[in-house]
Amino acid sequence: MISKKLAVEVLNLATSTGADFAEIYLEENNSTSIGLDNGKVESCQDTLTYGAGIRLLKGLQSVYGYTNDISKKGLSKLALDLSASFSGERVVIVDSITKVRVGKKHRPRIEYSTYPREKIISMLTEASKTCLEYDPRIVRCKVSFSFNYKDVEIFNSNGKQFNEVHSRGRAYVIAVAAKEGAIETGGEGPGAQKGMEFFLEDIDLNQKARDAAKAALTMLDARECPSGKMPVIIGNGFGGVIFHEACGHSLEASSVSKGLSVFSGKKGTKIASSIVSAVDDGTIEGGWGSGNIDDEGNPTQRNLLIKDGILNSYLVDDFNGRRMGEKGNGATRRESYKYEPTSRMSNTFILPGKSTPEEIIASTKFGLYAKSMGGGSVNPATGEFNFAVNEGYIVEDGKISYPVKGATLIGSGKEVLLNIDMVGNDLLRAQGMCGAASGSIPADVGQPTIRVKEITVGGRGGAI
Amino acid sequence: MNYNKFFEKANEVGLEALELSITKSKKFSFGLFKNEIDSYSISDSYRLSARGIYNGKLGYATSEKIDASTVDYIINHIKENATFNTSEDKPFIFPGSKKYNRKNVFSKKLANMSANEKINIVKKLDLAVKQKDQRINEVETQYQEETEEYILLNSFGLKLSSKQNYAVIYSSAVATDEQGETKNGFKVKILTDLEDLDIDEFASKVVKDTIAQFGSAPCKSGKYKCVFNPSSTSALLSFFLQNLSSEEVQKNTSLLKGKLNQQVCSKKLTINESPLEKNVFFRYFDDEGVATYNKTLIKNGVLQTYLYNLTTANKDGVETTGNGYKNGFGIGIRAVNVSIKPGKDSEEELFSKVKEGIYITDISGLHAGMNAQSGNFSLISQGFMIREGKLKEPVSLITVAGNLFDVFNGVVAVGSNKELQTNSYSVPSIYVKGIQVSGK
Repeated sequence: MISKKLAVEVLNLATSTGADFAEIYLEENNSTSIGLDNGKVESCQDTLTYGAGIRLLKGLQSVYGYTNDISKKGLSKLALDLSASFSGERVVIVDSITKVRVGKKHRPRIEYSTYPREKIISMLTEASKTCLEYDPRIVRCKVSFSFNYKDVEIFNSNGKQFNEVHSRGRAYVIAVAAKEGAIETGGEGPGAQKGMEFFLEDIDLNQKARDAAKAALTMLDARECPSGKMPVIIGNGFGGVIFHEACGHSLEASSVSKGLSVFSGKKGTKIASSIVSAVDDGTIEGGWGSGNIDDEGNPTQRNLLIKDGILNSYLVDDFNGRRMGEKGNGATRRESYKYEPTSRMSNTFILPGKSTPEEIIASTKFGLYAKSMGGGSVNPATGEFNFAVNEGYIVEDGKISYPVKGATLIGSGKEVLLNIDMVGNDLLRAQGMCGAASGSIPADVGQPTIRVKEITVGGRGGAI
Repeated sequence: MNYNKFFEKANEVGLEALELSITKSKKFSFGLFKNEIDSYSISDSYRLSARGIYNGKLGYATSEKIDASTVDYIINHIKENATFNTSEDKPFIFPGSKKYNRKNVFSKKLANMSANEKINIVKKLDLAVKQKDQRINEVETQYQEETEEYILLNSFGLKLSSKQNYAVIYSSAVATDEQGETKNGFKVKILTDLEDLDIDEFASKVVKDTIAQFGSAPCKSGKYKCVFNPSSTSALLSFFLQNLSSEEVQKNTSLLKGKLNQQVCSKKLTINESPLEKNVFFRYFDDEGVATYNKTLIKNGVLQTYLYNLTTANKDGVETTGNGYKNGFGIGIRAVNVSIKPGKDSEEELFSKVKEGIYITDISGLHAGMNAQSGNFSLISQGFMIREGKLKEPVSLITVAGNLFDVFNGVVAVGSNKELQTNSYSVPSIYVKGIQVSGK
């Protein structure tokens, strides 16, 4: 997007007052979103996100700025404004820029921009129809579809240039079911860092529409969940959101390096049950959170976070790594040029164990089976969390007994990890958007079916 | 930028109407760690969003890239996207309201204060938090300032603009006691003049909220009388008011459908929307260019009006209420500067009315534990026990569960304390009877 010559000029301007590192991140992101309500296309929108962010580091200080004006004038002004926050002698100088070879994985085979939009819309219209016709109690169906093509260019004061492309697509189906005075929703949101082939070959959106309708209807007839402490079986796929929120975020260098995480200084110690191993893997082909490089230009990695219950690795970006004496391990991400990058998750999941999901249910005398999880939140300082169960069932005498609604799981990440007593063999990943300091980014969560000995379950159905 | 070119091109390709909305934003922020600046950021950005009507249908496009190709990019995408639109709703680009209540809310004081002065004030606050109590081991304080210029133009010649600025100060503390127990607390404040910041009061609040949690534990499960503090009240209310959206009503997904002029919550509640209130959230026109006005939404528990944009108002054959604001997919519906009319009781008086119950100071996980459509929620909360009419031991890791409609029906008294929240709501504490709490 800019010439090497201009990059050298801007980097040298940025480092003129003593910054020991400077970086220019440029982005051009073409995205499209289509929204349907009850089968009608209500909106179709194209957005071009375009701009540059400049980051300067000096020891443990960082300075960041961004602009839409990537002309020589615009970038020079930004570099100069940012450099004004330091006052020192120059310590680095950039002579030339070398382009670093970057892998070509995760590229779309059928680019969204070349695929006829009419065909995309008929796929979405059909999914809406499938959902609305599934049952007369389905009163509303919202379908949306978004895809993008993002070009990224990074230059830094180590004299390096990196180029990366991200193209992702995601569909959402939300079904609303109603009967007198009660309304429930069910949803599915499949996505990948692939082209249109994902929707044509890998998944069936009509099936997802039926699944969304079915989940909404199940909850319409569900009883209120009882509350109290009980064993909880957490379903595979999006069930991994608990691990993501209650453990993954606490392994990010942004909080670890400052001593703000419950896992600060815990490397090499037991933080989970010995049947638990977990990874963050940014290299998975076409994975929702994958990349060839991260947003600092470091190659992505498969980082083994927990091995047999022992904390093995954090997720580290180069800047926070300075505080920890560690190098970045390919885990630096940002939503766009408007965000300073930091350590984030990519595709994070618990590795499969030996039990079948059937065995896990059969060996549970009484408990909650949280088949499908909703979102949740966690307090990073204490690790306390709560999560909504979208689709839950009470298990009695080793059998699924009846559906329950309104359940939430409450606990602390630290305790839950240690209390996992069964790990299934049915690993599945699911797509989510993860929000934190460097913006909202696509990230996969995942796990096999697991069982936790005891979690506090909140619900409106009275104490057990 | 010469915006005429957009209108000329729109004419040329046969768009029936065109609207441009331009946002120019400048941001300045910094963060302190160990009382030193560890992050500092400045930005200048521009965004042009456009909607246009072609063959009676709306199309949309947005660009941050401003060069010779922008006009074609915007107009061609609008035209193409309009052809895919199959909505049966009548689209509107608005010629203008008769009268607009424009007010100047731009704070020159904030704009003119130097970055160094701002840093010094925030550093003082950060230090004050750290020094309040020996058990505080980490403090993080952040300052964010934004100046936004917003311009709305359309092919009917309407031209509206506004310019606003504000600062948000956030400070959080982590404390560890002798037993090794860790607690954290934080406070956020929105300001348009840093001289309004009472450093000692702010710091005391952060520290008090953090330290008070030591020894907190879940309480016994059961039904409790609860006092919700202003921030929890505003969080619950924002979901309740989603049911006032005419779009939800028309699409059968509001539980307040058919309830106009009926009792929908406790008689103790009168709820107003005041977009013309002169504060940082002030809006004198909505995102469709319609003049906003102050109104009562719920009076003594009786629903006075639904909230409309031009399209939904047309469907119901009524006037828009000026609540058309952009969401990710076009123009949605939102309320700005919502307030609950305060009552006579201070928080302490509410506690003494409750006698035995719980004071809820924080509810979290709303995006997960709240089903806005059914109104059912189950949320992790913390607060304090109320015993013999006084605040006693802290409680944490409890869930408060119920239904929004039951909560707002069960309001027994409304406090006199009013506090502007970051979501633009300005609400007091409320005393609600019979809330299901699960703890141990």
